[in-house]
Amino acid sequence: MTVSSDGSLLLEVDGLSVAHGAVRAVAGVSLEVRRGEIWAVVGPNGSGKSSLLRAIAGVERGLVRGRARFADPARSLPAQRAFVPQRADVSAAFTARDIVALGRYAVGTDHAAVERAIAEVGLSARAHLDYHALSGGERQRVAIARALAQLDAGGVLVLDEPFASIDPAEVARLVGVLRARAAKGAVLVSLHDPGLSRALATHAVVLRAGEVVAQGRIDDALAGPVLERAYGLGLVEVEGDGVKWFVPRLDAPTRPGGADRMEP
Amino acid sequence: MLCVFLAGAALLRLAIGPAGGDGGGLSLGFASGAILELRLTAVASAALLGAALSLSGLALQGLLRNPLASPFILGVSSGAGFGVTLALALPLALGLPAARFGGEVVGASAGALAAIVLVGWLGGARRGGDPTTLVLTGVVAGAILSAGSMLVEQLVPFGMRGDLLSWMAGRLPELPSRAAMLTLASSVAVGATLLAARARALDVACLSDEEAASSGVDLARLRFELFVVGGLLAAIAVAYAGPIGFIGLIGPHAARRLVGSHHRALVPASAIAGAALLVGADLVRQAIDLGTGRLPVGVVTAIVGGPAFLWLLRRGRWAS
Repeated sequence: MTVSSDGSLLLEVDGLSVAHGAVRAVAGVSLEVRRGEIWAVVGPNGSGKSSLLRAIAGVERGLVRGRARFADPARSLPAQRAFVPQRADVSAAFTARDIVALGRYAVGTDHAAVERAIAEVGLSARAHLDYHALSGGERQRVAIARALAQLDAGGVLVLDEPFASIDPAEVARLVGVLRARAAKGAVLVSLHDPGLSRALATHAVVLRAGEVVAQGRIDDALAGPVLERAYGLGLVEVEGDGVKWFVPRLDAPTRPGGADRMEP
Repeated sequence: MLCVFLAGAALLRLAIGPAGGDGGGLSLGFASGAILELRLTAVASAALLGAALSLSGLALQGLLRNPLASPFILGVSSGAGFGVTLALALPLALGLPAARFGGEVVGASAGALAAIVLVGWLGGARRGGDPTTLVLTGVVAGAILSAGSMLVEQLVPFGMRGDLLSWMAGRLPELPSRAAMLTLASSVAVGATLLAARARALDVACLSDEEAASSGVDLARLRFELFVVGGLLAAIAVAYAGPIGFIGLIGPHAARRLVGSHHRALVPASAIAGAALLVGADLVRQAIDLGTGRLPVGVVTAIVGGPAFLWLLRRGRWAS
């Protein structure tokens, strides 16, 4: 399931911290992302996943310390990283294609790149429609296509909870899109579901209350004891048809200390 | 579509000719010489004021990410009103000769600018301004300034309150000075150019903040620019004509209906739509007025624009 990585460094995160006022959201995260890798950012609600991803993408409005450095200082930042928020929002009557084309704002108009991105998310037949006429899943694909359109080869796609409110068919489609991106560059994605994380990602960072509980290759980082520590909850590993998944042990009493903060 | 709109505006300019006349009674047909020149000046000033208000609305709608925002939401009109009241009341209080029209304009400009700077500073416009904070700051500052105006108004004798009331309702200057016309024309030109230059960024700013930032738009800078351009255009328009409502709202909205949401077309279309709307409103005003020239055009724009706004609100299609 892992995509082979050719080892070239695309992103270096060095001691990244985020604070919202007096509340510390992320404390000193460091990691290196290489071509071909899909990094899952895993942890309970309020563990700092979104803040970490926003800070890496450079769109966080809180106080950010530390650095996220993309491989090539000569290339423009929008070509090297693109961010897809949990909740996209469009306040104008644009078509899906119009919105995807906006991704090219800082990297130069390129109709071919826009059409490629639209095709990659499977929206070619509906790209002429008004954005507000599309379904929730389709709107999310528009947002992802917008991000893909702005990246060049080697660009890192950063997504905040893209799997949060889509049906299984959309999940499968999105997994395909992310793997295709990782084949060219890399992907960072936050997820609620550790099972899906393991099925999708090559690497993981597990957060609890803004601090790293574990990070590294997916099988090491997403081990049962680590997740128990992160979520304060027993997780059973189940396996079938070559797929490993984690299921919460709902009958056991939950331990305190897992999800101990609100989502910022 | 844009051309159709241009033609419409031009037709309105022609149509307004027969309804002019400064003596009394309604005179039809094209007059000669001086009267025609007066009418042309009046039409040109209405067009420029309409364009300024509409562009201001467009800038502030982009700033606040809300197609229903309008120039006066940031307290500009209340600030100008306070300035005018002070300009009328202060000389009286100090026993100086009352300031005439010139004092009004100075007071309105100063008040409008002060309100913009104050609201921008308190609302955090320089840091990229959270839209909600900015709107609430504008509304509250407006309420305070209006209360201040009412307080100071008590110092103005009854005889002069009529002027103030008619100013507060919004009326086109009957004989705009050459300097006023030049100021208006150059502000509209500069404002339109600045907005047109940022058309693409304005498109991207219709996405969520995070997506706009991801695409490479410096939102803090863009919003500061929009605040300055939108605020100054509104201030200049208010200084010369009082708070003429709804042009800043309906102008960009009409333009959106005609040319779509892309700002490259929307900026010129909004200017033209605003010009056409105010020239049209002035035409209606003169038709109702029967040449007495006392009915403020702001009454017409509010009576027509208010229901139009409510209709848009009820329809709930903010994005259209």
